[in-house]
Amino acid sequence: MNRKRVQDKSEKPSAVGLIGDLLIYARYSLVNWLKIILLVIKHGPFDTIRDIRRYPWILVLLQVNRLLWRFIRGRRGRYRIATAMVMADIVASVIRMMDDVFFRGELLVIHEDMIPPEIIRAMGLVPFMAELMGILMPMIRPHSVEVYIDACENAGIPPDICSLPKSTMGLTLKGHLPPALAIITSNLPCDGGMSSYALIEKELRLPTVRLDIPYRFTDEKAVDYFTREMKRLVTWLETHTPGRMNWDRLKEICEERNRMAAYEMELWDLIRIRPSPMAGEPVWLSHMWNFNVTPGSADGTRTFKRIVAMGKKNLEEGVSTIGEQYRALLWNPPTIHFIDIYNWAEKAYGISLIMDSMTFHRIDPIETDSPESMLRGLAKTIMAGPMARHTRGPAENYLNDIFHITKHFDIDMIWVAGHIGCKNTQALNGMLRELCRKEEIPLLIIHYDLSDPRIVSREGIIEQIDHFMENIMKAKRL
Amino acid sequence: MNFDAWQSELSGMLRDPENDFLKNAVAAGKVPVGYTCSYVPQVILSVEGLVPVRMRAPGAAGTEIADIYLSNVTCSYARSLLEYAMDGLYDFLGGWVFASGCDHIRRLLDNLSYLTKPGFTHMLDVPHRQGAEALAWYEGELAALCAELSAAFGVDTGRTALARAILRYNDFNRKVKAIGDRRKETYPPISGTEFQRILIASLSGGRERMTDVLDQMVEELLIRPGIQTYRARLMVVGGNLDDTAFIQVLESTGGIVVADRYCTGSIPGMELIDETADPLKAVATYTLGQTACPRMMEDFETRLKAILQIRKDFDADGVVIENLKFCDIWGIESALLIQGLRDAGVPVLKLERDYRLGGEGQLRTRIQAFIESMGK
Repeated sequence: MNRKRVQDKSEKPSAVGLIGDLLIYARYSLVNWLKIILLVIKHGPFDTIRDIRRYPWILVLLQVNRLLWRFIRGRRGRYRIATAMVMADIVASVIRMMDDVFFRGELLVIHEDMIPPEIIRAMGLVPFMAELMGILMPMIRPHSVEVYIDACENAGIPPDICSLPKSTMGLTLKGHLPPALAIITSNLPCDGGMSSYALIEKELRLPTVRLDIPYRFTDEKAVDYFTREMKRLVTWLETHTPGRMNWDRLKEICEERNRMAAYEMELWDLIRIRPSPMAGEPVWLSHMWNFNVTPGSADGTRTFKRIVAMGKKNLEEGVSTIGEQYRALLWNPPTIHFIDIYNWAEKAYGISLIMDSMTFHRIDPIETDSPESMLRGLAKTIMAGPMARHTRGPAENYLNDIFHITKHFDIDMIWVAGHIGCKNTQALNGMLRELCRKEEIPLLIIHYDLSDPRIVSREGIIEQIDHFMENIMKAKRL
Repeated sequence: MNFDAWQSELSGMLRDPENDFLKNAVAAGKVPVGYTCSYVPQVILSVEGLVPVRMRAPGAAGTEIADIYLSNVTCSYARSLLEYAMDGLYDFLGGWVFASGCDHIRRLLDNLSYLTKPGFTHMLDVPHRQGAEALAWYEGELAALCAELSAAFGVDTGRTALARAILRYNDFNRKVKAIGDRRKETYPPISGTEFQRILIASLSGGRERMTDVLDQMVEELLIRPGIQTYRARLMVVGGNLDDTAFIQVLESTGGIVVADRYCTGSIPGMELIDETADPLKAVATYTLGQTACPRMMEDFETRLKAILQIRKDFDADGVVIENLKFCDIWGIESALLIQGLRDAGVPVLKLERDYRLGGEGQLRTRIQAFIESMGK
């Protein structure tokens, strides 16, 4: 194992350092708010109020900048800047998304979160990821999707179904999704997610296309099958929407994505080193956003490039992100209504949640020689996506990734965000528990619900972590 | 043996996962192969030398060990099977064939392979949609299954052997359908419980033996007096339901189950496989096309229309939707079906249940209330 360890030369913050940190926050916060205010001015205050009444989630998204403080609190220097940069990207991108809804709504295509938006963008259409609301809203305001979850359950959907599709179905039932041309969905990531589109299609009465991803997706036969599904998608969109495939545009998007992925690989090499010169949101949130929501954007590549440069600089100077005592793998989608868990863990126990299942998306660069090779590359990307290979494929996809990451990133403990609605992964906890014992890796399974803090609150999650750290890791709060 | 004697015999036999049908088949040198989903073609597991066994856990009392592995939010059917497997109650099986039908059954295979390491397991990768591409894929999957069964058990799964199995399969279906269609009559000569018993026996390794006695049953039913004491004709819709006691409870309150549109029922399922086409292609077309499971992404309206048509054909007063708790697929489907059926003016009752029959009193009360709500 290639374990590099460097001495941590991080110093206690000086008064000048603290002022500098404060200025970083002030600068990014101000710029972010300015962008939000400019959007409201561009759209017109009256129209904004009208649209907020029509789509109440807009009001939550306009508060996206609240995340900035939660993420950067207590972080210093380049780590703080890198975190703020990622947040600035997200604010800009949320603004663009709302701008699209306000001003390019006639080209809107609703897509499920496992369908990458590259093809939609390359066809001149505007992607609207339906599940993004269920992900982003509880991050900003933890209780904000409860109204949608309740609406869904009141319509007869069983409460034991994952709260993410329930949020999306609730949005649909309450009429809070913007008008669109069509729906693109698939059989990913799980039965609940897949089936939710029966309701969404019925409610929205929009032409709907569904992509079918095989179970054993690693063999070439499956890649061929799914590549044909991608071609079917392009043809279908050309038939049902005004969108037309621009292969040159798709090439640009794929190449930009490849460049971003190359920087991410550099970042992953950096974070293998103990103590880590970069961690937290610059690793996980930058991936989640830039690869899933805005892939192929030059902004994302630039951000990754700068994060890598800052990480290298930290490494050169022997500065770590935090006083790293432990490194943990956070498995499954992160606790989205307690999204500053990364920051909290750093401060409470000196734990760097250095890698997570959603970030660990290993793919080869997309070959851009021909339309066929691009579709094939995108097909492989979707099939190898974390929620695809972990929840639709066999258990070894899930377990092998966990133990590979544990070795590769020199992980001290595994935290599984045991979302009660994810039956798929709950059914693997027994095996995982035994395998972790065999490998002598401490394992914490956090019992909670992904989007609904009424099931287990932030405090409830913290209590579980405290018990684990005290009893298993024999660690005290810092 | 007359009809009632057969029913009594079957009732006793079905309490044991390794029933007399299977013991006799094993004694005759056949290999029982378990399967858990309608997307595993029974007919392929019926080639000479094999016996298909739709996996059940009759009388499952608890799932304490399985809960540790599969968790208590996995459907109780999957948990019950794992519990039985860990208790060694399926040791008589030569192997298991699974289909990637739903998350729970996929995870059952994962845990089963980890905990008990069966000698033979195979997962059929079933597409989630119809169409030429999907059919070609599925046919390829079936060809791979045939090759593996042949290699593992030394059985002939070639075109000719499969064609023979199709003939036997169709023969059984014709006979069962003849009995099942009698339920369309105003006073059906057979109750839902009795009919389900025949089906479950056939799924539990008794298909060949049952084929021999079905002619006699058809004859007897011609002279058997029709049931006149019911208050309402019910159609049951849902997923896996292999416990006749559930139907018995529905019928104990004055209902009669005349139509069974669930995984282990006869609608769909008793149609005939094309005997003139290439056998493998015919089986693929039949299984992918006929199995009306909500795990198929694109077919909700087709499924709803089919239910409405079946309800009409069998003159059912109301529809009972039963689904296993924690089944996401049926959980969402049932919510949509309720709406669709109500919109069409069809009385509907949804019963979320555990694999093991429980709360019979509550169940009776709900059925009674449902029947009364229909003015019956």
